[in-house]
Amino acid sequence: MSMEQKAGTRLIVKDVSKTFYQKKIEPHHVVDKVSLEVKDNEFLVLLGPGHCGKTVLLNIVSGLMPPDEGSVYLDGEKITKPNPKIGMVFQKLGLMPWKTVIENVEIGPKLSGINVKTRRERAEYFIDLVGLKGFENSYPHQLSGGMKQRVGIARAYTNDPEILIMDEPFGQLDAQTRYNMQNEISRISEHEKRTIIFVTNNIEEALYLGDRIILFTECPARVKEIYDIDLKRPRDMIDPEFLRLRKMISNNTDLAL
Amino acid sequence: MNNNNLLKKGRRMGDLKYMILSVISVLTFLLIWQLLVIFGVLSTRTIAAPTQVLVTFFEKFYSTAPDGATIFTNIAVSLKVSLTGFFSAIIIGTPLGMLMGWYKPLDRFIRPLFEIIRPIPPIAWIPLTILWVGIGLGAKAMIIFFSAFVPCVINSYTGIKLTSQVHVSVAKTFGASNFKIFRTVGVPSSMPMAFAGIRIALGNSWGTLVAAELLAANAGLGYMIMMGRQFVRPDVIILGMLTIGILGFIFTWIFTKIENVVVRWRTL
Amino acid sequence: MKKTAAYDQKRRPIKKILNSLLPFVSITCLFLLWFYASNINPDLVPSPASTWERLIQLFVKPVNKMNLFGHVWASLQRVFIALACATVLGVTVGVMIGWSKTFKAIFGTLFELIRPIPPIAWLPIIIMWFGIGEFPKILIVFIGTFMPIVVNTYTGIRLVMPLHLDVARMFNASNRQLLFEVAIPSALPPIFAGIRNATSSGWMTVLAAEMIASKAGLGFLITRGMDYFDVPLILVGMLAIGIVGALLAIITEFIERLLCPWNKKLEQD
Ligand SMILES: Nc1ncnc2c1ncn2[C@@H]1O[C@H](COP(=O)(O)OP(=O)(O)O)[C@@H](O)[C@H]1O
Ligand SMILES: [Mg+2]
Repeated sequence: MSMEQKAGTRLIVKDVSKTFYQKKIEPHHVVDKVSLEVKDNEFLVLLGPGHCGKTVLLNIVSGLMPPDEGSVYLDGEKITKPNPKIGMVFQKLGLMPWKTVIENVEIGPKLSGINVKTRRERAEYFIDLVGLKGFENSYPHQLSGGMKQRVGIARAYTNDPEILIMDEPFGQLDAQTRYNMQNEISRISEHEKRTIIFVTNNIEEALYLGDRIILFTECPARVKEIYDIDLKRPRDMIDPEFLRLRKMISNNTDLAL
Repeated sequence: MNNNNLLKKGRRMGDLKYMILSVISVLTFLLIWQLLVIFGVLSTRTIAAPTQVLVTFFEKFYSTAPDGATIFTNIAVSLKVSLTGFFSAIIIGTPLGMLMGWYKPLDRFIRPLFEIIRPIPPIAWIPLTILWVGIGLGAKAMIIFFSAFVPCVINSYTGIKLTSQVHVSVAKTFGASNFKIFRTVGVPSSMPMAFAGIRIALGNSWGTLVAAELLAANAGLGYMIMMGRQFVRPDVIILGMLTIGILGFIFTWIFTKIENVVVRWRTL
Repeated sequence: MKKTAAYDQKRRPIKKILNSLLPFVSITCLFLLWFYASNINPDLVPSPASTWERLIQLFVKPVNKMNLFGHVWASLQRVFIALACATVLGVTVGVMIGWSKTFKAIFGTLFELIRPIPPIAWLPIIIMWFGIGEFPKILIVFIGTFMPIVVNTYTGIRLVMPLHLDVARMFNASNRQLLFEVAIPSALPPIFAGIRNATSSGWMTVLAAEMIASKAGLGFLITRGMDYFDVPLILVGMLAIGIVGALLAIITEFIERLLCPWNKKLEQD
């Protein structure tokens, strides 16, 4: 069941494949023999075009969906079901409309049976950290897109995961908000050191945030290239080195991203 | 690959399992019912065994006891009444709702009258209708009309109100007259809603029919079960209830088919 | 072009006033029609005045030892008791068949087979089983209210978003928690819509039950009016039925707003 691993490696994805079979439709091969490693405390970015199978891969990594082939190991243990050590910010958020902001944020500790006082305190802390103080008792439908995204992030942090997966968290936002949120996530991740797996289809975003970038092919998702990004932080999007890397990755992708 | 096929097969086996479970559950229900009657736990004066109901069903092909008509006559009478009321409600209610939704003055004129009628359940009209019109076909059709009229109006009204303003503006730029826009844009786009209203109307009119026939009739399925009670014939009552249920089910089924054909463009 | 604009501007205020008067015009027309009809045949169509008189008289000389409020309360009581039982049982059954495939196979099919029978069609056999006391009437109303609540609860549970379940699973929720923390709360709006439908269906069913066999209630009142050829009494009864029905609808919607504040659909209305 277990697997040997190098020091400093938290998560290993080994030869994972997934195909969907549906009635009357050709089998849809979505993830193809993906292998990758996630190091402790790194900010790893998975970069790939839309509908290439990134979300499916994440669902497999998080244990929500079984792979057809291959396996995922967390600290040497095979993942077969969701693990509280892994947190997820869902692409479509999935905030519960019947819960207020704070009730949404504290859902993780609540489900693990932590008492009201403790979990409220934790939730307050992260609501404050993502800049939503004062909106604790609002309902999600009263918030803007960027604010909802912050709730999703606070919710994942409040459960105190060791590895945090963020699935295209800023995909739905307008350019300005997106830029602000990139700064925010940069700030938050400095503040609350975690291993982060961040998914995006945007090259600038990947370069702005990532310690390492794994580039995927079009559907089915396959690892195409791995880049180590050694730019100093905070990063500057018009720094010549930044632009050089951007061009290099851009030339290597199948689609104009 | 293999793995997934196995999974699929597993799911199909699961479906089969649940289907078998449903069948067993229904059969068990019928069996217990039958046994309770056979062993006299339940008196035959208050309930009839499933087999007895089946026998009565065939008997009622020609027998007119206890209500004075065969089952087919009763079905025919009920159908005639309910369809008369139902179709008049569609023919009057649906266009009325659409026109009200489109033409403001008409809306303002009719709305108050409609709001007065709306909260009164159709059944409450029965005494007044009996005094005014008697207990013939007309009276019952009128009560059923009331039950079907309200949802027809409300839904086609809402459907028209939801007409996309963009489509209307496009039609306007082509210089179409207001009535033409109503006909070519408003009416078709409100069709799905109108049909949803007619579906509610269908259920209402079938339910109200029974009430009308229980209270004021000399034939029909409702009358048949009422007579079944008077002559202590539980078999006739249960047969009547089942017939009413099955016919209601068939109507809804036919209606769904028609709806699918007429509102096909909705999915396109 | 310019001319029409000016023309429109001039005409618009008048048109507006006419428009705002229309509701009053239509109500007036209704009353005129009523007066006219009551002049022609006062026996079949009593005048508004005599209807009003009958209403007053109902308090002075009660029908069957109860004034109007007594009868309203008699009907309401039956609806409330039945509705309370139907809500508890209906939500439970709906949740069970929505959540568990096994329950659905066992009870869902039986329920689907019984459902097409209109609640009123149960009247004769229930009277036969239980006589004409209070219980059979409440039972009939229960059948009328139980069905919409089960159907809506079931649908609501089936329509819970898989994403919401995934979110909770991600936080290690147990099956029980998935049901009570996610599925049931997310089904609350459809459940309330079901209770709203049930209330109006129950109000109608109680009338039917009272019209067929009862000594109290609004349904009894209007059949009494019919038996004694007391048309004003029928009109008073119908009026009360309409008003109480409308109030019930308003109250259930108010409660729904209170208990489901996140329900956007209600807010937009
Ligand atoms: N549960 C599923 N059943 C069938 N097809 C799916 C399922 N989930 C995802 N897909 C398909 O897999 C492909 C990849 O989806 P996804 O992983 O969401 O892409 P993205 O890279 O944009 O996150 C899409 O074409 C999608 O339609
Ligand atoms: Mg995705």
